[in-house]
Amino acid sequence: MLLTSYSIMMIMMLSTIIMMLATMLSKKQIEDREKSSPFECGFDPKSSARLPFSLRFFLIAVIFLIFDVEIALLLPMTIIMYTSSIMMWTIISTAFLLILLSGLYHEWNQGSLEWAS
Amino acid sequence: MAALKLYSISKIAPQLLRPMTHFSVVCHTRNSYKYVNAAERSMDMKDITDRAAQTMFWSELFRGLGVTLGHIFKEPATINYPFEKGPLSPRFRGEHALRRYPSGEERCIACKLCEAICPAQAITIEAEERADGSRRTTRYDIDMTKCIYCGFCQEACPVDAIVEGPNFEFSTETHEELLYNKEKLLNNGDKWESEIASNIHADHLYR
Amino acid sequence: MFKEIFGLFIIFILLVIFVMVGVAFLTLLERKVLGYIHIRKGPNSVGFIGILQPFSDAIKLFTSEQAFPFLSNYLCYYFAPVFSLFLSLLVWFVIPYFTGFISFELGLLFFLCCTSLGVYTVMIAGWSSNSNYALLGGLRAVAQTISYEVSLALILLSFVFLVGSYNLMMFYDFQVYIWMIFFTFPLSMVWFTSCLAETNRTPFDFAEGESELVSGFNVEYSSGGFALIFLAEYASILFMSMLFCIIFLGSDINSMFFYFSLSFLSFMFIWVRGTMPRFRYDKLMYLAWKSFLPLSLNYLLFFLGISIYLFLLLV
Repeated sequence: MLLTSYSIMMIMMLSTIIMMLATMLSKKQIEDREKSSPFECGFDPKSSARLPFSLRFFLIAVIFLIFDVEIALLLPMTIIMYTSSIMMWTIISTAFLLILLSGLYHEWNQGSLEWAS
Repeated sequence: MAALKLYSISKIAPQLLRPMTHFSVVCHTRNSYKYVNAAERSMDMKDITDRAAQTMFWSELFRGLGVTLGHIFKEPATINYPFEKGPLSPRFRGEHALRRYPSGEERCIACKLCEAICPAQAITIEAEERADGSRRTTRYDIDMTKCIYCGFCQEACPVDAIVEGPNFEFSTETHEELLYNKEKLLNNGDKWESEIASNIHADHLYR
Repeated sequence: MFKEIFGLFIIFILLVIFVMVGVAFLTLLERKVLGYIHIRKGPNSVGFIGILQPFSDAIKLFTSEQAFPFLSNYLCYYFAPVFSLFLSLLVWFVIPYFTGFISFELGLLFFLCCTSLGVYTVMIAGWSSNSNYALLGGLRAVAQTISYEVSLALILLSFVFLVGSYNLMMFYDFQVYIWMIFFTFPLSMVWFTSCLAETNRTPFDFAEGESELVSGFNVEYSSGGFALIFLAEYASILFMSMLFCIIFLGSDINSMFFYFSLSFLSFMFIWVRGTMPRFRYDKLMYLAWKSFLPLSLNYLLFFLGISIYLFLLLV
């Protein structure tokens, strides 16, 4: 465990070092207002980039959250299969998956998976 | 007189009638039109299963992959540019040059036709009479950054003095180096004379 | 103790270095293969027939000027690529070597964690640049990656149900007699497609739709930052090909064939890039949510039944 965490730190250090190296090696640094302004095809950015964005992206994120939580609940199922009553395990996992499936179809039916309407 | 009139009408009649016959012919072909919209998808069991299999096994995607795989083994169309060069037409319009007669006398007689015709107004000419009475340029400048390589100057020239040679590799690092003067243009002419002469010879039938 | 630590460190460093070199040559392979698909030659003059091209690219990238966008949230902007490369190197820890390396009991779980975290780097890189294009690219990339992550995780779970373990080494034991790809062919294709979408590769490269968003979430990056993002992307491509080999193609990591099939799968990524045009964004979302997700859920139910059957058979 200790070794692994050392190695993880080592990789973090390595990638930081590469970035630092690139910063140091960048041979010329000429400060220029135009150069350091956000990229916008040659003219000054008209509006702020911190714009309100399409709500679809947010809704997708919410649906993803639901499914990811359910996946997190599914994850231990394979392992507890060997240590639990197979009857109970079968009933519970099948019921869970069926609820998940019907939930998906319900969302589909209600139109929350539509991207453009 | 009436007979003459009748005769003339009978002469004109086919011309009058021809459009009508055309019209009838067109109508005839229009009767059987060609259906250009997408055909209705057939709903036979066989066709449905074929389409389903095409979707299921991604056969169209795999066929596309096969096409690109075939392209990998084709001979590349690349030429290694600085070492190999593509063919050039004798009419190729590259870098300008001022030519000389075989005696060494420059051809240009300062008629300023090229200056007049140049659509980009890249040419500037000043002329003076020389001591021997002939009319020659004292200044012949071409701004190569203005030039659009249309070739009008070489077509306007009555004595084939200004030509666009076959050279296209004359890039420079500064703008000033591309403002050609008379000396530079004459040097170009001396340097590329054999190629320019052979190009003019190859094309002389069409000028 | 010291010897163990030292040995493990050497192995880790070797792994990381060879992953990086592999990434370098993957970029060369990509340029070459795309070149030949377009009936032209790729890079062919640096070194011997272009072999050294990736190294000259690296030198060029690392020594070119680093721009500092003055509107950016600088710390996030600077460290997002670092974090991105860190994650895609970290995920290589699950490589199932028998000796001298980490024995991951929950390797696939680790993989899922790392790929989920990969979303954040793209999001932060896109957001902190404070440019319209970067933000849009980041948003698209996040929505796409999380959508496909669900189906990716569910497909993975089907196989985990079959194998009964998250340990990647168990996949070898399971596939001694027959490879997974033969009896789960459609699912393997879905997995491959999800991999393409997860790594933002070409039919689904909406993160950097260069015809619409210039370069997507990484427009503001130059030199080192760009190089790191690039390295991270290609390292994850290599990792995804390795995972495909492990899950579907026998996973015999000690044989040379494993590495050939790994290279072939990386070649597939490039081949697909040379063939397919970009998808449409709404179609991409429909594909993820209305096609792949129901399919993988139903398959999961099916494999659940099979695993119960196998369990009852064995017990």
